[in-house]
Amino acid sequence: MSLRSKSITGIVLVTMLLLVFGTTTCKRKASDPKFQKFQGPSGTSPDSLFHIRVRPKWHPQAQFAGFYMAKKMGFYENYGLDVEMLDILPDSEAVLSIINRETDIINIDLLTALSMNRDSTVVLNIGQISQKSAVRLVGRKSRGINSVADFNGKKLGLWRYGSNLISQAFLAEQGIKMEIVPIDWSINLFTQNVVDVINVMQFNEYHQLLQAGIPEDDLFVVTMDSPGYNIPDEGLYVSPEFYAAHPAICKAFTEATMDGWTFAFTHQQEAIDEVIAQMQKAKIRANPAHQAWMLAQMQDIVLAKPDRLGILTRNDFDNALKIMRKMGSDIRGIAYEEFYPLVAQ
Amino acid sequence: MSHNSEDRTLAYQLISFVFIAMLLVFFASVLVTRSIYKKIILDTQLDNMRHLAHERVYLLDGIMANVEALGRVSLDLMSNPQISSSTFEEHLKNVLLDNPTVHSICYVQDPEDGGRPQMLNTIRNSFIKREISGKDFLYYDWYQIPTISGKAGWIEPWFDGEGKGVLMVSYAMPMYQSGEITGVLRFDIELAYLQELLIHNASFRVGNSFLVSSTGTLISYQDPNLVMHQTLFSLAQEYDDPDLARLGYAMVNGEMGHIFVNGGSPMARSWIYYHPLKSNRWSVAIAIPERDLMASVNIILWIQTLASIIIFLVVAIILYARAVNVSKPLRTLAIAADKIGSGDFDARLPVSDKSFEISRLTDSFATMQQSLKDYIANLKTTTEEKEKIHGDVVYASEIQTNLIPSNCPHPLDIQELRAYGILEPAGDIGGDLYDYFMMDEDHFCFVIADVLGKGIVAAMAMTMVSTLLPSIAPYHKSSSELLKKLNIFLCRNNVEANFITIILGVLNLKTGELQYSNCGHVPMIIRKIDRSFIRYHETHATALGVFENLEIGSDTIRLNQGDEIILFTDGITEAMNDQEELLGTAGLEEIISRLSNPNPEETAKSILNAVHDYARGSSHKDDITILVIDYKHPGLIQDTNRA
Repeated sequence: MSLRSKSITGIVLVTMLLLVFGTTTCKRKASDPKFQKFQGPSGTSPDSLFHIRVRPKWHPQAQFAGFYMAKKMGFYENYGLDVEMLDILPDSEAVLSIINRETDIINIDLLTALSMNRDSTVVLNIGQISQKSAVRLVGRKSRGINSVADFNGKKLGLWRYGSNLISQAFLAEQGIKMEIVPIDWSINLFTQNVVDVINVMQFNEYHQLLQAGIPEDDLFVVTMDSPGYNIPDEGLYVSPEFYAAHPAICKAFTEATMDGWTFAFTHQQEAIDEVIAQMQKAKIRANPAHQAWMLAQMQDIVLAKPDRLGILTRNDFDNALKIMRKMGSDIRGIAYEEFYPLVAQ
Repeated sequence: MSHNSEDRTLAYQLISFVFIAMLLVFFASVLVTRSIYKKIILDTQLDNMRHLAHERVYLLDGIMANVEALGRVSLDLMSNPQISSSTFEEHLKNVLLDNPTVHSICYVQDPEDGGRPQMLNTIRNSFIKREISGKDFLYYDWYQIPTISGKAGWIEPWFDGEGKGVLMVSYAMPMYQSGEITGVLRFDIELAYLQELLIHNASFRVGNSFLVSSTGTLISYQDPNLVMHQTLFSLAQEYDDPDLARLGYAMVNGEMGHIFVNGGSPMARSWIYYHPLKSNRWSVAIAIPERDLMASVNIILWIQTLASIIIFLVVAIILYARAVNVSKPLRTLAIAADKIGSGDFDARLPVSDKSFEISRLTDSFATMQQSLKDYIANLKTTTEEKEKIHGDVVYASEIQTNLIPSNCPHPLDIQELRAYGILEPAGDIGGDLYDYFMMDEDHFCFVIADVLGKGIVAAMAMTMVSTLLPSIAPYHKSSSELLKKLNIFLCRNNVEANFITIILGVLNLKTGELQYSNCGHVPMIIRKIDRSFIRYHETHATALGVFENLEIGSDTIRLNQGDEIILFTDGITEAMNDQEELLGTAGLEEIISRLSNPNPEETAKSILNAVHDYARGSSHKDDITILVIDYKHPGLIQDTNRA
């Protein structure tokens, strides 16, 4: 209950801040000199835009509304960028594509990025979109899951890659032993009662469960926002080489993307329409109600620290390292400033 | 408040009242009819929907049961160690060729040991087998659900990107070897095939059918944009429609029944019947928009409305024609009544046998017309007679007036006397009388009388008195003797037995001695020169004309210099004001006390005016007579009252 009431308070505060922020952002598009301050290496003509390849974490959905709106509203162009959105890849392959210079910027979780840097620095953070964890563990009360203790000995549907480390760390600390069933994206193992507990994102699968006819009051939900586990999820990553060559491009991309997010939050219907258009273009399921839910949740997540919009905080970085080490990872001691070089600018 | 005359016509009122009554009856009829028809049609359509849903359920369950049976047989073959893989594949090939329902078959054995999914299907009757690369299948529903649960079952529709690239509905079975799950056998049906079945293959068409999966996902629906994109719960959320959510929970929970969905969703304002499949947790629904359901009811109501309008118009026309026809004699009667009212009593009344009431009314008018004619004729005769009588009365009044002495400064040229008389009859002629005359050279006789009653009879009695007295007076020296003779005459000649009150006085002009008799009359008043007055209220007999042998007395008084004799009738004392209060003797004395210096004319007129003022506003009227006589004899000694 205390976790939920904190969330509600947070949502209220963020909404109030967003109203102030949103109004200034609306004006910014037309008059803020920020949109003209970066002119790219060779001016602002279409031919002189800096081509940059971005690989999002997943198929088109409101989780990436900031990218779509920044592109649609010309924010990237204002920063001298010509952004190309690439097809999705599993996180490990996405990192590989960075190494192979097939991708310039990828969008992966903080813990995944740190784990990729275990032996050597392969990716650097240039922007932190998520500011709080959206990871949840849910079970059905009607199937006897009424507390974390009830998880013991049950089957857990856990993502086979991506944001699975927090859940594992949480269960380990709670002393809960579960049979892990690695899953991709489907919630059907849970709806068909094949697994008892499933790892979901608040902005996505959690709502899919509701839309699959599971009453919200039948769900027992564990929220990963207690101290030490509230590790923000997705951020923007580049290779050290790319950053060394184009630090200003990296900064411009992050700023344009966050402008896209703030625009999306202040023009939600417009953003949802664009997301649906992108989904239809990709020929995947488009469900307006779900995308509206997702955008609202993303607003809560992205604006969780309104004064740190798009910034990876030292505290979150340190907590992420602690979690990894607690889980037995022999990650080397990478410094915050090295991992997030934009902090120096 | 005025009304247009057209608004008040019989035809208008009949039609308007009938219209209002019919309108009320019509609305009540429509409401009741609609409610009854709606229930009947709803019951019928729900039956139809139930039958159709059952038909679809049997159809789908039949297909799925067939696939399940094929799967179980194939699984048994696969588990048989004596069956070689080539024989097994030959079996699967035959299954595919013999059962077009089965779109493809996939099996994977020992994936942990590097086993790859083997994909089998047919293209234009050609058998094709290929191997699926990669290990992502290990995380697909069709692999995970049977291997983890250990049970065969239908999985949610999925996009087979590694196959034909279409949406599939798959029955996935775990393969066991020595009690261990070693692989999965999967039979696929193309979702489009089931969708086609639901839409077209029905024995009759009622509404729109749709199919939802165990998660409420729309697997088949008339709008393809919603298929696999929306669940009933997402639609409920998008359109804020709790009815849809209720429908969703009922369907995913395997319930059977019907619901009316309101809201603004694509299923809005529809009746939906739902029925679960036996094969899995899917559910079939049949939806009928209420407007389609009520279409036939609305047609009936339109026909009913049209029929009502026609009936109303026909009734209105008939009523109008009949009302005009019936009211025509009424209008003619009204015109005739106007003529009769203006004096044309011979105006012709209409003849009508179309309505009993109007016929009765016409007869009554005819009777009234005849009565009026008779009445007017009688009135004319009566009026003529009355005018004639009135002429006689006027003539009689003139005669009566002539019998009364005319006022002059000194009556009969007697210098010692002054007299003034007023006779004001209540009608044309009256029953009062005053008179004076000389009995001989020394004796002056005066009289004032009042006959009980008014009109001709009273006037005749008065005439007898006024003519008799002067003629017999010279033979009698006393007032009592004279009145006795008069009484006897009246008793013998007065047919109507009117009695007469009277004061008769005999004044000796030389001595000033006044002998008088009062027979039932109001008192005589003598006013002195000093403005004091004496009321002589003694009476000497009752009224005359009743008892022939009446004894009559008299009194004698001596008049002083300037004494004024005031005589009057009861018209003075019985004058009434608007409060119906009598003036009375006291009132008269009050008037007399306010009189100025003695003067018969002034006194008489002042008294009359005062009485008129008092009686102003009163409807009571009586004959009024006043006679005032002023006697002056220089030889008389002052201050002597009675003899």
